[in-house]
Amino acid sequence: MLDLPQAPSQTAPSANNAVIKVENVCKVFQTPSQGSLGALANIELDILPGEFVTVVGPSGCGKSTLLRLIAGFSGCSTGRILFQGEEVRGLNTKVGYVPQESKLFPWLTVEENVGFGLSPKRYSRADRDKQIDYFIHLAGLAGFEKYYPAQLSGGMSKRASIVRALAYEPPVILMDEPFGPLDAQTRMVLQDELLKIWEQKRQTIVFVTHDLVEAVALADRVVVMTHRPGQIKDIIKVTMTRPRNIFEIHRQEGFDEAYSRLWTIFRHELNIGTH
Amino acid sequence: MPEEISQKTRQLTSSRSLATALGKSALSLRSFYIALFRTSIIVGFLLLWHIASGPWIEPFLISSPTRIFSSLIEGFTAGDLLQHTWVTFQEIAIGFPVGAIAGIALGYAFGRSKLLAEIFEPIIIALNGIPRTALAPLFIVWLGIGLWSKVGVVFLLTFFLNFFNTYTGMRQMDQEYVDLARLMGVKGWKLTFKVIFPAISPYVFTGIRTSIPFSVIGAIVGEFVAATEGVGFFIRMSAGIFRTADVFVGIIVLMIMVIIMDKIAALIERRALRWQTQTEHIQIQA
Repeated sequence: MLDLPQAPSQTAPSANNAVIKVENVCKVFQTPSQGSLGALANIELDILPGEFVTVVGPSGCGKSTLLRLIAGFSGCSTGRILFQGEEVRGLNTKVGYVPQESKLFPWLTVEENVGFGLSPKRYSRADRDKQIDYFIHLAGLAGFEKYYPAQLSGGMSKRASIVRALAYEPPVILMDEPFGPLDAQTRMVLQDELLKIWEQKRQTIVFVTHDLVEAVALADRVVVMTHRPGQIKDIIKVTMTRPRNIFEIHRQEGFDEAYSRLWTIFRHELNIGTH
Repeated sequence: MPEEISQKTRQLTSSRSLATALGKSALSLRSFYIALFRTSIIVGFLLLWHIASGPWIEPFLISSPTRIFSSLIEGFTAGDLLQHTWVTFQEIAIGFPVGAIAGIALGYAFGRSKLLAEIFEPIIIALNGIPRTALAPLFIVWLGIGLWSKVGVVFLLTFFLNFFNTYTGMRQMDQEYVDLARLMGVKGWKLTFKVIFPAISPYVFTGIRTSIPFSVIGAIVGEFVAATEGVGFFIRMSAGIFRTADVFVGIIVLMIMVIIMDKIAALIERRALRWQTQTEHIQIQA
């Protein structure tokens, strides 16, 4: 890297200790019918350790694609992504990934799913059991250890899916609209639980959503993306204090400010979008 | 969170709760009537057969249930039916597992390697176009009239069905499961046996279970072409000397063989796929 040494600043993310550094990334998909399709253009983004970053944007703007690039599921067309200073090439096994649908392994029980990422090399049998037990309790799934995913409700599988990614303690968790298909109440409960877990663990989270309230309520910073090909329109800092009360989030100081800034940008975006 | 126990949990337990709701006696009464109805159809058919044989239709054409039953007993006690059954069983016991395992392994390999699939897929499909039983005479030429030519035909019939089902499973498999598992640092044999095989296991079992009757067909066709023993040989020989009852006896032995094999496979399948929600009978009306 040819970066000049920067003075560490309190407010602006410093490039030096960023856990994820997205450098001028473009992603183009080749489709058989429509030729090439630009999904992402010139993405520049630094994410600091312990940060909770949400990514919002209109549907099809490449939010999920960005996560998939960070996870290394596919490669960047141009530019590169640095993870803890190293370029992501191939699967990035240092991140946890929570997909849109829960995608628990249906042939494994809840406890087997949660323990799936706990490799015997890193965890002894006793540690493994302790870890599984801890995270199952954290997710409020005690008593359901021996259940198969098909026997769980949507909210329960969602929680199991999240702690499956947390259990093996990757430094970064990527979440792709994890609460998307849930009903409003379950969603709020899960947002609350996610924040509580995060406040204990302080892992870095990159959370993709299309819900503006959710984006503001959870985040330290909200990354706003434009229509396809997705570009970063703005990054909004959320100044609300923590711990936050999800159920009364509208009344917290700083919510309105961040939300109205976000909405202004978004309204603009929507106008562009309606041809 | 008892309120969160899902619809599906209820579905899973609903047959049990149905039993408690109706009361045990009501449910067992229902299954009793079903069994009664089923039995009376079978008994009625056999009775009709028995009556028809003789006055209406020549017994040497359709034999009769009583004659078949006594031939069955006689065949196993006095005759060499047990030996014939043993021979056919051996052919299947060797050809079927080898064919199934080879088919599953190749289907898996094709699913893993795009290159392999691209090179060989058209060839396999072309080979599949051959009516495989037509190859039975060739197997006799190659492997003689003994055990191994029949094992070959059984293998061939079993192999393709298992191959195609496993390969279809590999192609239908959700990529995201593999991606997630690999992201969690799982690879090698653990990826194969903890993720890929469980994911495709419904397809694998479909392959195994559909190939069971075909493996028996393979053995019989082989024996029809050229053999000195086996149930197929027994059927052909009996038909040749118009011992129609014995023909039916042979058919019954084969049928029982298929049923036993299928029951065993179903048992294993139920254990292996116990994580799947059992689809109950679809109800159109509430």
